[in-house]
Amino acid sequence: MNKELEHSFVELLEKHQNIVHKVCRLYTNNYDAHNDLFQEITIQLWRAYPKFRGDAKFSTWMYRVGLNTAITLYRKSKRTINTQDFEGVAFKIKAEDYDNTQEEQLKVLYKAVHQLNDIEKALVFLYLEDKDYREISETLGISEVNARVKMNRIKTKLRTILNP
Amino acid sequence: MDELDLLKKDWNKQPDNSHRLSVNDIYPMLHKKSSSIVKTLFYISIAELVFWILLNIIPYCYSNDYREKMDLVFNRHMITAITIISYAVILLFIYLLFKSYKSISVTDSAKKLMKSIINTRKIIKYYVIYNLIMVFISTAFGIFYSINHDPQFADFLNHSKKEIIILILVSIVTVGVFMAIIWLFYKLIYGFLLKRLNKNYKELEKLEV
Repeated sequence: MNKELEHSFVELLEKHQNIVHKVCRLYTNNYDAHNDLFQEITIQLWRAYPKFRGDAKFSTWMYRVGLNTAITLYRKSKRTINTQDFEGVAFKIKAEDYDNTQEEQLKVLYKAVHQLNDIEKALVFLYLEDKDYREISETLGISEVNARVKMNRIKTKLRTILNP
Repeated sequence: MDELDLLKKDWNKQPDNSHRLSVNDIYPMLHKKSSSIVKTLFYISIAELVFWILLNIIPYCYSNDYREKMDLVFNRHMITAITIISYAVILLFIYLLFKSYKSISVTDSAKKLMKSIINTRKIIKYYVIYNLIMVFISTAFGIFYSINHDPQFADFLNHSKKEIIILILVSIVTVGVFMAIIWLFYKLIYGFLLKRLNKNYKELEKLEV
């Protein structure tokens, strides 16, 4: 691969790196694991870059590669992903952390989102990134209706946690 | 306010500066080795191919006794035909694997990507099943041939029926154990490697029901 291509890729990644960091933040829970996943996403982005066509936005393309790497390709045992049931998490959080201030609500929400399963996290991530249901459905490969239904279920779960 | 909207407001206002990388940090990252499951799957499939090819070839190349027996059992034409067929099967699997690996694209939707990886694994699975069936058939054929043609075996046949039954049983158990070990080993490797992928794929499938 030529230097020019490498240079343009690195510049773009440096500019949009926050997207990758956000994926890492959602799917990992310590500094080393974050860096590991960032490294793997970078490799996957770089390998796919020659096929990247300018007709899609670089950031949009990054969401797809980043999430695919996090939920499908990446394997490192030290990265511990908690995939407990939401209800189980809610029960624990309610007892320990619930408080009605906004800051506490956020703390509880982040904690809860962090313990969703991989697919639910991907949905929440794309939603938080302001993606519409068409894009969410295309990124995950499910129908738009089902993406919407699942998202509503996640919202209901979160509501239950905050308003028991 | 919607709970997720509250989260969204916060999510978008805080840039992650603790991990921020410079251009100089990113450059060396491009040339590091990947630890993706596709790469591991690729190495495993190569190992599977090499293992079974060697298992088929080594006894014929290095054991005169084995070669003589094979020459005795099959005539030259038959050996050539069997060799051509087995190499054709290997080439077919290599082609299918290659095609399958080429279809894996990180820019596909999550579900399509998972499906492509699962399909690739299936091809390796069929290759293992094919080889296990061949082990079974060739062992059965070997015993059948020995009973009918091998003079040493014919001597043995003069022994009691009980001994013959024991011999056949031991052969069946040995082959069965060998096949079971290979199968378990295979299940263990792929089970471990693709556990998360299978779980996520099922989750996506569940959403579509």
